[in-house]
Amino acid sequence: MALVTKQILDTPIQHHFSPYSDNGGTTVAVAGPDYAIIASDTRLSAGYSIYTREQSKLFTLSETTVLGSSGCWCDILSLTRIIEARMQMYLHEHNKVMSTTSLAKMISIMMYGKRFFPYYTSTIIAGLDPEGKGCVYSYDPIGHTERANFRAGGSSGALLQALLDNQLGFKNQENVDKTPVSLEKAITVVKDAFTAAAERDIYTGDGVHLCAITKDGIKEFNFELRKD
Amino acid sequence: MSIMTYNGGSIVAMTGKNCVAIACDKRFGIQGTALADNFQRIFQVGPHMFVGLPGLGTDTQTVYQKIRFRQNLYELKENRKMSPKVLLSMISNMLYERRFGPYFVEPMVVGLDPETAQPIVGNMDLIGCVNIPSDFVVGGPSSDQLYGMCETLWEPNLEPDDLFETIAQALVNACERNAVSGWGAVVHIIEQDKVTVRHVKTRMD
Repeated sequence: MALVTKQILDTPIQHHFSPYSDNGGTTVAVAGPDYAIIASDTRLSAGYSIYTREQSKLFTLSETTVLGSSGCWCDILSLTRIIEARMQMYLHEHNKVMSTTSLAKMISIMMYGKRFFPYYTSTIIAGLDPEGKGCVYSYDPIGHTERANFRAGGSSGALLQALLDNQLGFKNQENVDKTPVSLEKAITVVKDAFTAAAERDIYTGDGVHLCAITKDGIKEFNFELRKD
Repeated sequence: MSIMTYNGGSIVAMTGKNCVAIACDKRFGIQGTALADNFQRIFQVGPHMFVGLPGLGTDTQTVYQKIRFRQNLYELKENRKMSPKVLLSMISNMLYERRFGPYFVEPMVVGLDPETAQPIVGNMDLIGCVNIPSDFVVGGPSSDQLYGMCETLWEPNLEPDDLFETIAQALVNACERNAVSGWGAVVHIIEQDKVTVRHVKTRMD
């Protein structure tokens, strides 16, 4: 018996801490000539369990900017909380609300600041730039950013980006009118995209929360998705 | 590094109204390096039947030869053509024989049933677990992108011309968002009275 106890005590025990979890979720954003829309699904999950069916992943940062983020939910909360604090500091220092373009750059710098312990998120922001045009910026977990006209991110990013290239970027289509789509048409495409994603991706479903940003303000919409 | 995406190459198959279609890109490479733009992954195995073999290039060719061998024996012994469902069962059985040292292919079968002319698409995993859906099947490294495309573009009872447009758009746009797929594409449309093969131009990067 004593021998057994000694053996256990002599064996090194490895302790393990995993700081990240993948809580799934998909975000899609589209920029138009005078509008921007951003949408996320409302399922929050881990592995095969669903935590809730009604958690939007959109964060309204200002009158002209909305952020959508999926990945590690605790990192999303942490990131958005610090972004909001930095926006307050900017407001008090410069006496004006931060523009979407300035915000885009700041988020990139903040994320790269955690280069060696990153926020595990797939983040997209959508809004109006200082000229009133729609804009979308997407980020990788360590702050690489790019301005785009449309972007899909999160667990269904791979499923939806090809679709957006085709339906909004008119890729591989001949003899079509390639003027940017209207706000109504963009909402329809985003809705279809989420319906498709919910069919094949178990981390996407339950509902869609969508924000349409125009010069008149932010309008919110909710759509149902399949719940299995 | 996954052995299933080592050589690239994606395939998609869809049902239509009294027709079926199967399409494939033409790239053959070793991981990031593209080597050929004329690699065949779809093979005709009957008047109205095709098999697609996405996966490891060498196993694509080996499994195709083994399929032909067993199919020839069947057709000589039975003195009748093989139906798509029988072919699926046969390939499934063949792959399961190698359950613990598998061929790295996920075969796909499309065709019109010789008796009823019913359109059939089916596929299986690398050890032969069969799936016969009523709409479409996808395979290869850009299967995620293909699911997104097919799930929105496909609709029931497409006529042959519309089916061609649907499957070509699904494949080309999906392959454009995948680094190991592309470099040209080929589409086969199978109807009761004819089989049409169309080569589709794509961007070559």
